Amino acid sequence: MLHRRIYQFLMIYFIGLVALMLVKYSLNLSDYTIPGVNEIWNTCRRYSGLYLVAVLNTLAVAILGHVLSICMATVVGIIGRLTIWISSFIRVAAYNIQAYPIVAVAPIIFILLGDGLSSRLLIAAMICYFPLLLSFIGILSEPIAEIEHFFESTQRMNWRLQVKIRAFENIHKLVTVIVGSATLAMVGTIVAEFIAANAGIGYSIRIALYQSDLSKILVALFLIGVCTSLYLVFLEWLGWFIKKRFGSI
Amino acid sequence: MLLELKELNYKYPGSVNDVFRDLSCRVTEPGFHALFGPSGVGKTTLAKMITGEISGFGGEISSHGMNKVLYTFNLERLPGWSNIQEHLAAITPGANKEKIKELVKSFGLQSCLHSRFAQLSLGQQNRTNLTRYLLQDFDLLIMDESLANVDEMTKEKIILKIKTLFPERCFLYISHNVVEVSKFCKQILVLRSHHKNPQAVSLQGQDIRDGRALKKMELEQRMLEIVNAS
Repeated sequence: MLHRRIYQFLMIYFIGLVALMLVKYSLNLSDYTIPGVNEIWNTCRRYSGLYLVAVLNTLAVAILGHVLSICMATVVGIIGRLTIWISSFIRVAAYNIQAYPIVAVAPIIFILLGDGLSSRLLIAAMICYFPLLLSFIGILSEPIAEIEHFFESTQRMNWRLQVKIRAFENIHKLVTVIVGSATLAMVGTIVAEFIAANAGIGYSIRIALYQSDLSKILVALFLIGVCTSLYLVFLEWLGWFIKKRFGSI
Repeated sequence: MLLELKELNYKYPGSVNDVFRDLSCRVTEPGFHALFGPSGVGKTTLAKMITGEISGFGGEISSHGMNKVLYTFNLERLPGWSNIQEHLAAITPGANKEKIKELVKSFGLQSCLHSRFAQLSLGQQNRTNLTRYLLQDFDLLIMDESLANVDEMTKEKIILKIKTLFPERCFLYISHNVVEVSKFCKQILVLRSHHKNPQAVSLQGQDIRDGRALKKMELEQRMLEIVNAS
């Protein structure tokens, strides 16, 4: 799992790099526009340590935001599965709000909360929260009649058991959605850092952009790709473990 | 009288066709009874009306001394997070725990106890599902094709065991198998299309029990009556 994902990322990254070099040499562009391989390598040696710390900082915020959004989506999904008016309101609100781009709301968050950790965390959580919420509401509000019937007719059904049955029966879907939203959490954090923050790899990319230093951006992209791949592999392993431990096999 | 259905009228919301039109019938004593009829005639609907899962119908369903009515169907599944043994232990009321062993043995489920539900064959799944219902406290158990995919020998063994273990309880066995209802059931309620009047006909089955011989001529006669009635 690990080697395949890293291998895929490296392949895509180096194809992109080769394409960039082809553009540079075929159009005879200067090193200022697209740096040469030597310069990229030198930047990599000089900044990779610093950027690795920044990427890990971003990844930590992304993981925290991801966990936060999973918790929020679970709670709201549990309420949203009911047939009372508040649940119906939550479902409609979730569908409407998720259509609104979070990046457009981000400046308001920065104005209110500043450019610290809380803003980055909130934006990361919000970006991966809505896809999770829609899936969680859908899964938790779908009755599994052939299992639930017994517990209902013998008056054993309660909300915890209902959620457990529905989550368990859809464990494959839940794991897929959680793994998929991890990428969104990382994207959300980087976007937040890019817009306004004082730490993280998004912030470093913003500085590199102001310096028009493409080699720094390429090094940052490389480290982001490797770290995100590692996080996704970890989540896939966790999903595999959960399915094996609690799945229907 | 245990269960009386009086002039039931029902059609599904949005449907123009009646399912029941002035349907009346009664079950007068405990035992293993059958609800028989062609597909789509309304057996499952009637079962759900008796359990209260379907409301908003005309007429009256009255029961005497039947407070706990359970309905089980053959597509039910057990949750997959525990094995059969753990599940049965968790859902069986304290007073019925001693029956677990006997039912498991009689239903041939010993080898399934440490398996998850999804690992069982269809026949084993149906037997397991029926077992957990029999371990509950009930006055009437409606079994909607609960023994589908079970071989004839095992089916006979199971029905005879149910009759022996629960002589005072009432069972309503929904089946399409005319031989089995004629042979094992005490009272056979034959449901017919709403165009026919009366919509339900009650016939007597052979009600075979352990040690009671099968009367072949009578069985054939009964089967003919059921087929003609339906």
